[in-house]
Amino acid sequence: MVVVITDENRAEYKQELAAMHRHRKQVFVDFLKWNIPVVDEIYEIDQFDNSDAVYLVVLDPDSRKHLGSIRLIPSTKPHILESMFPFLCEDAVPVAEDIWEITRLCTAPNAPNPKLVLGQLATGLMEFGLLYGVRKFTFVTHMGALSQVLAFGWDCEPLGLPQKVSGDEIGAMLVNVDTQSLHMCRKKLGTQKPLLRLPTAARAA
Amino acid sequence: MSQFHDVQAFVREANRITEMADLQPLLEDALKALGFDKYAFTHHVPGFVVPNNVIRLSNYPDRWLNTFIKRNYFVDDPVFAACQRSSAGFVWSQLPQILTLTDRQREIMGEWGQYGFAEGFTVPVHIPGEAIGSCSMSVSDVTRFPLQALPAAQYVASFAFEAARRVVKREWVGTGKASNRASLTARQFDCLVLVGRGKSDWDISRILGISDQTVHQHVEAAKKRYGVASRTQLVVRALFDSQLTFSDLFDLGHIP
Repeated sequence: MVVVITDENRAEYKQELAAMHRHRKQVFVDFLKWNIPVVDEIYEIDQFDNSDAVYLVVLDPDSRKHLGSIRLIPSTKPHILESMFPFLCEDAVPVAEDIWEITRLCTAPNAPNPKLVLGQLATGLMEFGLLYGVRKFTFVTHMGALSQVLAFGWDCEPLGLPQKVSGDEIGAMLVNVDTQSLHMCRKKLGTQKPLLRLPTAARAA
Repeated sequence: MSQFHDVQAFVREANRITEMADLQPLLEDALKALGFDKYAFTHHVPGFVVPNNVIRLSNYPDRWLNTFIKRNYFVDDPVFAACQRSSAGFVWSQLPQILTLTDRQREIMGEWGQYGFAEGFTVPVHIPGEAIGSCSMSVSDVTRFPLQALPAAQYVASFAFEAARRVVKREWVGTGKASNRASLTARQFDCLVLVGRGKSDWDISRILGISDQTVHQHVEAAKKRYGVASRTQLVVRALFDSQLTFSDLFDLGHIP
């Protein structure tokens, strides 16, 4: 299952979020050797993991173990593309209410089927966009991961030519959200059912 | 328009492609504009015949393709070998920095000149659960190698390969195009597969345990549904619309 974790329901998912930050440290710091902050030596947490951030988290439906996750930030708030890599955009960094950034896409190192987890995140993201009124997502990707990302089934286009940044070729992308892409992702996943588990609406006073 | 805006226009068009016949001219124009004269976008799956979900798009000379496939350079070609080790794009003159070249690999590189490969740029394609692929773009005159165009070439390559992937996997939604596949009965299909494997009506009748007259009728009916006159045309048409796949006809062995 894919849960949507926002500032509102964060308290219900303390353990799952801790597992997410641990796995992010293993993936991005230990494996990919990114030079990014680590908290308490085991958690990868940066300044964008704040109350504006929303997480899509894939949990094992039985054990609730963290299997993979992605972080979403409204482009109207401080985010990575604008703060760190604006030069990757040929034109201005796209900023609007209906444009959000996705970062820190990761699968748990021990996830039994990472491909399935990625497919669930790719699909969940389209559902999230349609539900929350997000028309476009932006993200930064390494060129080495590009073909894998393009194979998700999204409708993707570049925001500028790739550039070498501290030894790695990276580029900024834009993903259009629409029902066609949602159906494409669902077709690849072999399901037509909605995946997202949403924060329960606050009780009426 | 800037180089980026050309790439952006290419990507938008490539994302809408549903037929290989539309992708190829689009890709050729884009690569020509970037300054490349030859290209090969392909999965690293050996053999003259491959399943039809395997991408092989190229304007390489037939002589080279035949040599490549016959001598099974899929295993030894230094560009292909480098794709196993690198996820990022590389220029061919940098190959010695990516892998320690074997004598055979040096030999293969020695042949490149006579086929018009002076310098090239290759973007590897790694998608979990699929055969490795690559997009190679090259020039015959090293002084005309478009070094400035490599970032743009990276995108043209990646998005074109994905467009080709969607075509061969028939993964797109909502074009609303009705399928123009002929519908065959199960028995007609059995006969079609065996025809494709080179069997005569008599052979097929023995294999399926029906009379050769009945086999003949099934094959004739299938030809009629496709509107073709010969058995060869029948097989080609059925392969073309994926009713029949190469894997129905050959033992393909292990595809990584």
